[in-house]
Amino acid sequence: MSITTRAAVCRAPGQPWEITELELDEPKANEVRVKFFAAGLCHSDDHIQKGDAPMRMPVVGGHEGAGIVDAVGPSVTRVKVGDHVTCSFIPACGKCRYCATGRQQLCDAGKNAGTGMFPDGTFRFHQGGEDFGGLCVLGTFSQYAVVHEYSVIKIPDEIGFDVAALVACGVPTGWGSAVRAGGVRAGQTVVIYGTGGVGMNAVQGAALAGAKNVVVVDPVEFKRDMATSVFGATHAFATAKEAHDFVVETTWGELADHAIITVGILHDEVIANAIKVVGKTGQVTITAVGNGWINENPGMLIGYQRRIQGSIYGGCSPLVDVPLLIGLYQAGKLKLDELITRRYKLDEVNEGYQDMLDGKNIRGVIIHEH
Amino acid sequence: MSTITTRAAIARAPHVGWEIVDLRLDPPKAHEVRVKIMAAGLCHSDDHITAGDAPVRMPVVGGHEGAGIVESVGPDVQRVKPGDKIVLSYIPACGACRPCSTGHSNMCVKGLHAGTGMFEDGTWRFHEGETDIGGFCSLGTFSQYAVVSEYATVPLREDFQDIPFELLCLVGCGVPTGWGSAVHAAGVQPGDTVVIFGAGGVGSNAVQGARFAGAKNVVVVDPVEFKREMATSVFGATHAFATAKEAHDFVVETTWGQLADHVIMTPNAVTEEMVNAAVQMTGKGGKVTITAVGHVNERAVHVPAGALIGYMRQIRGALAGDSNLLYDIPMLLGLYKSGQLKLEELVTRRYTLDQVNQAYKDLNDGKNIRGVIIHEH
Repeated sequence: MSITTRAAVCRAPGQPWEITELELDEPKANEVRVKFFAAGLCHSDDHIQKGDAPMRMPVVGGHEGAGIVDAVGPSVTRVKVGDHVTCSFIPACGKCRYCATGRQQLCDAGKNAGTGMFPDGTFRFHQGGEDFGGLCVLGTFSQYAVVHEYSVIKIPDEIGFDVAALVACGVPTGWGSAVRAGGVRAGQTVVIYGTGGVGMNAVQGAALAGAKNVVVVDPVEFKRDMATSVFGATHAFATAKEAHDFVVETTWGELADHAIITVGILHDEVIANAIKVVGKTGQVTITAVGNGWINENPGMLIGYQRRIQGSIYGGCSPLVDVPLLIGLYQAGKLKLDELITRRYKLDEVNEGYQDMLDGKNIRGVIIHEH
Repeated sequence: MSTITTRAAIARAPHVGWEIVDLRLDPPKAHEVRVKIMAAGLCHSDDHITAGDAPVRMPVVGGHEGAGIVESVGPDVQRVKPGDKIVLSYIPACGACRPCSTGHSNMCVKGLHAGTGMFEDGTWRFHEGETDIGGFCSLGTFSQYAVVSEYATVPLREDFQDIPFELLCLVGCGVPTGWGSAVHAAGVQPGDTVVIFGAGGVGSNAVQGARFAGAKNVVVVDPVEFKREMATSVFGATHAFATAKEAHDFVVETTWGQLADHVIMTPNAVTEEMVNAAVQMTGKGGKVTITAVGHVNERAVHVPAGALIGYMRQIRGALAGDSNLLYDIPMLLGLYKSGQLKLEELVTRRYTLDQVNQAYKDLNDGKNIRGVIIHEH
């Protein structure tokens, strides 16, 4: 039987999030219905709403979420009703070329992220005669959503839904940008541009990987303070220029081993700064979203053998790295509670994004009411 | 030891070609050796100098691929002795700096003066009247003799002594640069699909490297029919196309839409159009390796970062194919001796020093995989 759910939707780029009631279909084969308790306010949803990232409209926002499996369709094997789960914003089918070679972040089943359409060509959210997709085929800004079983990961019952929501996107995307896609190693010098809900976890990843210098660039004083006092950054600067000068001095001119770009909106200048701050055989890892371009003479890459690595999900495989990160949290080696600056009701979603844009939040979280 | 006279091809300024002149050549100082150069390869990088695309100090003695015999040594030289047959490495390997100590001797800090030819004490060894002249990459193999750092010399073990100089000179730059672009920098794996842009003196060796690493498809893009034929019939390419578009369509079809694992860029000059074609031809988790330089003022790597993020593509630069030349040069000569690496087929034409401008015209006309200068003594 279909049910009714309250959700935050965007009907066209540039329009604010609107709280509305949608009809939600039953789960079909290999699909599950999740009752969401928490959803993270990631910058990517704001990129969709602003029109910076293309997406079929209307769309149910939200791709960070955790809750309880409320119903399952036929043939579901990964989870059962009552399981606590978090959602992976890229599914892991386990059988495509990329899943089969340890790269679930590139799973071919992720191809409908921008439409919210299911593999059979249909949608689960409706209003009147209109179909609504969920962002990343999720839609966690809804009290309930039907998602593919490939998109859910079982979590321990004792983990809070608020932190569990973050551990499926922002945390692995940042942490993995340092540890997996970046490949930071002990003793290295790492510069991280942008320390919001993603970048702060790049800081934690670089610190855990043993970097000597974890250098943060962020214009917001609150984030710089949090980066150094809580998350493990060794140095923090308001501008790329100050960070560059520090790196030149502290490495005796050898420059950084890694630069990781996790800014709110990617732009040409931060890419150029990152390329300049890494030394011989250094790597620039680009994780942020936005219309930023690489614009260099090939010699900038050849002479020092620099490399530029695009990064989605931080290069993490969600089925292994999400439980791994939860384990690190339980062991006290990963801070998640400190990432959550403010909690909002679903009705406050626009306010939550304004706070994010104003630099007030590391991460805001919606706590769903039921 | 005394100053000697040597005939050399020099460039006095961009766009005026090579000029054959007599230069004075100093004796070697500490840690330097004077080499009687027997053969020099005509690499495109030297042509970038006369085309104005390589910002080097002028005038400059051309040539950075060379092999010859040690004529004399300065004080404290340990690596070679007079009479030794050697290959010149276009990047020195001091063995002591951070890059050398971490397996990246292609980044050796003593490569610092490649663009000026100046020695570490701030002086030069070639002179014409009162003018100091540097050798390209601190070598200058378009000269009958040159003084070079001992760190740029690679001695040859006994079983390599019979390899002709015209082949030895190629393993100082073009062969490891191409081979290593596939094997080291890209890291081609068995079963991969690899696209190589440009099958000249560097790219032909990227083809050999990709084949040797076990690539399933070694796909060449080159507008010159002769090079496409050599790539497929001699060096091991499985497919060759005149345009990137044809190669793209083939790769889409043969990989069932998964695209290439690697694109390696070894054309005469990299352009923005080529880089973007390469990125679009590379699939999820794939890598674009850029080995060839472009025009000096052109930002040929002009790519939206989003093209890298969603598919987790990587763009990287490669210098000398990420090779450690003290290891890779003897290793490659060993593969040649065992019949597994083709070197003779790389040499299309031989020239005297006086014919250097004609040789570069042939290169730009697409007539040569590699031309070689055989020095007269």
